[in-house]
Amino acid sequence: MAHPRDRSGLTRGQLLKGAAGSALGLGAAGILAGCENTTEPIGAGVGQPTGEASKLVVPKPVGPGGLPLPRPDNAVTWAITADNPPIRDGRPTERGPLNIYNYADYIDPVTIKKFSRQFGTSVAVATYNSADEAIAKLASGAVGFDVIIGLTGSNIVDLIAQRLLQPLNHSYLPNLVKNIWPELQDPFYDRGSRYTVPYTVWMDGIGWRNDLVREDIAAMDDPWDVFWHSQAYRGRVGILDDKQDALSMPMQRDALRAGVTPDLNTEDPALIDKAERELAELNAICNVKVEVTDYQTLPEAKTVLHHSWSGDLLSAAFYYMPKGVKPDVLSFWGPSANGVVQNDFLCIGRASKSPVLAHRFLDFMLDEQNAYANFVDFTGYTPPQVAIDADALIRRGLIPKTLTQAVVRPDQFAANQELLQLSVEGERLWDDAWSKFKAG
Amino acid sequence: MSSRWTWRILTLPGAAWLGVFFLVALYAVIAVAFGNQDTLSQPVPFWNPLDWNVGYLLDVLRNIWHGQQFLTVTIRTIVFVAISLALSLLIGYPVAYFAARHAGRWKGLVLLALIVPFWINYLMRMLAWINLLSPNGWGTKILHDVGIEQLFVWLGLLSAPGGWLDGQSSTVIFAFVYGYIPYLILPLFAALDRIDQRQIEAARDLGASPLSAFLRVTLPLSTPGILAGSVLIALPMFGDYYTPDLVSASTRTTTIGNQIDEFTRQGSEKVTGAVLTMLLAIVLLALMFYYVRTTRRAQAVYAGR
Repeated sequence: MAHPRDRSGLTRGQLLKGAAGSALGLGAAGILAGCENTTEPIGAGVGQPTGEASKLVVPKPVGPGGLPLPRPDNAVTWAITADNPPIRDGRPTERGPLNIYNYADYIDPVTIKKFSRQFGTSVAVATYNSADEAIAKLASGAVGFDVIIGLTGSNIVDLIAQRLLQPLNHSYLPNLVKNIWPELQDPFYDRGSRYTVPYTVWMDGIGWRNDLVREDIAAMDDPWDVFWHSQAYRGRVGILDDKQDALSMPMQRDALRAGVTPDLNTEDPALIDKAERELAELNAICNVKVEVTDYQTLPEAKTVLHHSWSGDLLSAAFYYMPKGVKPDVLSFWGPSANGVVQNDFLCIGRASKSPVLAHRFLDFMLDEQNAYANFVDFTGYTPPQVAIDADALIRRGLIPKTLTQAVVRPDQFAANQELLQLSVEGERLWDDAWSKFKAG
Repeated sequence: MSSRWTWRILTLPGAAWLGVFFLVALYAVIAVAFGNQDTLSQPVPFWNPLDWNVGYLLDVLRNIWHGQQFLTVTIRTIVFVAISLALSLLIGYPVAYFAARHAGRWKGLVLLALIVPFWINYLMRMLAWINLLSPNGWGTKILHDVGIEQLFVWLGLLSAPGGWLDGQSSTVIFAFVYGYIPYLILPLFAALDRIDQRQIEAARDLGASPLSAFLRVTLPLSTPGILAGSVLIALPMFGDYYTPDLVSASTRTTTIGNQIDEFTRQGSEKVTGAVLTMLLAIVLLALMFYYVRTTRRAQAVYAGR
């Protein structure tokens, strides 16, 4: 189970499940997809001052299509337009089939089976490998997916700008208010949950083998710094193969040292370059690996210290331990503030032919029991359900104490930052730095 | 209908296939490379050459000129491919030679053994090596026991004993050689098998030593096979990005293929990805023309013209 957000590398799980064919294709198809989709901005709320007045404020970066970029201090309510209204209350549920678009291995097949039995419908799941791929395919209009799973706040502006989503009717979604963390019932990237409801949350932290790494990382003043002192583990140290996750890691270290609050979505070229240079230092220190397969390499001790998504450590503990290796050799630390938390969401495609059934599916996944089963039986990524907490999981013997922090708490979620969509120019800066780092 | 027309008609599907899936696709890459991006960072191809925008191309060329990352990965890719190709020839030529000339009645079996690797998916073979080369893997043990590990450490090609998967250039080159060598051996075998035995006998009769008969008759006559095999494996090696990802994942083994993959599959710089794809294609086309010219000349020599 690799990561929900941007699975760029080839993973063994994928390959063994025979999903490799598509990953092998040359880039041409990707290049051909999705041109000229500029649309009129439909964001509501934040306008930029013009004329003389514009001199009085620092301009906010503008997102794709000229839309505002949602930030915690700049919440955005996406308009509901007359040509794309939500469905009316009390409609009968369609017979389906329900077409789901998701990352590979990111929902439990048993959960899907349960849904199709309950609603007497068939469910088809198509998969994508990266958010970009998903958006390009949705924008091409080729397929009318009913439910899209796994996209995040770093994609929301693209989704809205290209008009790919259908607004939600909350009368079909009683579980949202009943079960979900209050802060995610009304997220800043989609005020009023007009187009999305949360699916899972996770955070960026450090995963390590406590039997092979000497340092007690969780007890250090500056845990991130362990990567810059990892000479002893040369060749067995990894960081996430994702530009925003990876480059924001040295930014967190710098901020922690300077005692300031970082902006992990910064568009300041100096800060981005500095992060790139610091990451590049890891080449000489530990010949760092850049990959997202830590959920396999940590259990197999092919890596011993890894910049990791919390959910991958849990799925590692749930499924990937080799014979004779206990899950409590895995540890996870995540910052309690000023680090990275993420959540991804469930949403309904604009071209959905079974919008009521799609709403039913969203509500089904917001149900406590279903979310819990999908989490502990399959994905390892925490659903933001009020009733799920790490202590309960430890009591039930599901996860070792060393992985307590891999279950994200609401207070951590509030005190950390989400990696979000950048302005077009900002994205280029990050891409340039990332390309430079990846060239070695 | 004359047979000439029959053949022309039979050529049509293949030509149409090539036209649509190669030429049109290639032109699309070029149109994107000389195009622009919209405000959603999506590429907008400029189909009309009169509209072409050279800004992105100049950016990449400037990057190379100033010795930045694209120069680094280009040089690294060329070095990887050159060494892998040389090693493949050193290992593959004797095998093909043996199969063609000395295997006798075992020829069929030897050929079969050469083709067997094709039965298994390339990536599966690479994944097998990941387990073999892991610190406790069999491959690592054998390389240690026969002294290759110590030799590589001594030569500075391996950072630490057992560290084959620690992000080593040598492992990537080794994986390239292992992965592509069957594609080199088969055309080589075909070329060597085709050589008329009597020409070599004539050379010996005229007083050539075995070595000089080989150098002056066999080797030149097998040149088309060497070139065909080399082209066949060098072209995919230049674009290979998954092998370095699988066996290394270090930034120090990133190839130009990795950078193209990075740019085209995600992020905001798909046009830059298209420019890199186009530049790589130009280099490969140049190699291809060289190959076609050389083989044509070799055939002319062979035909005594």
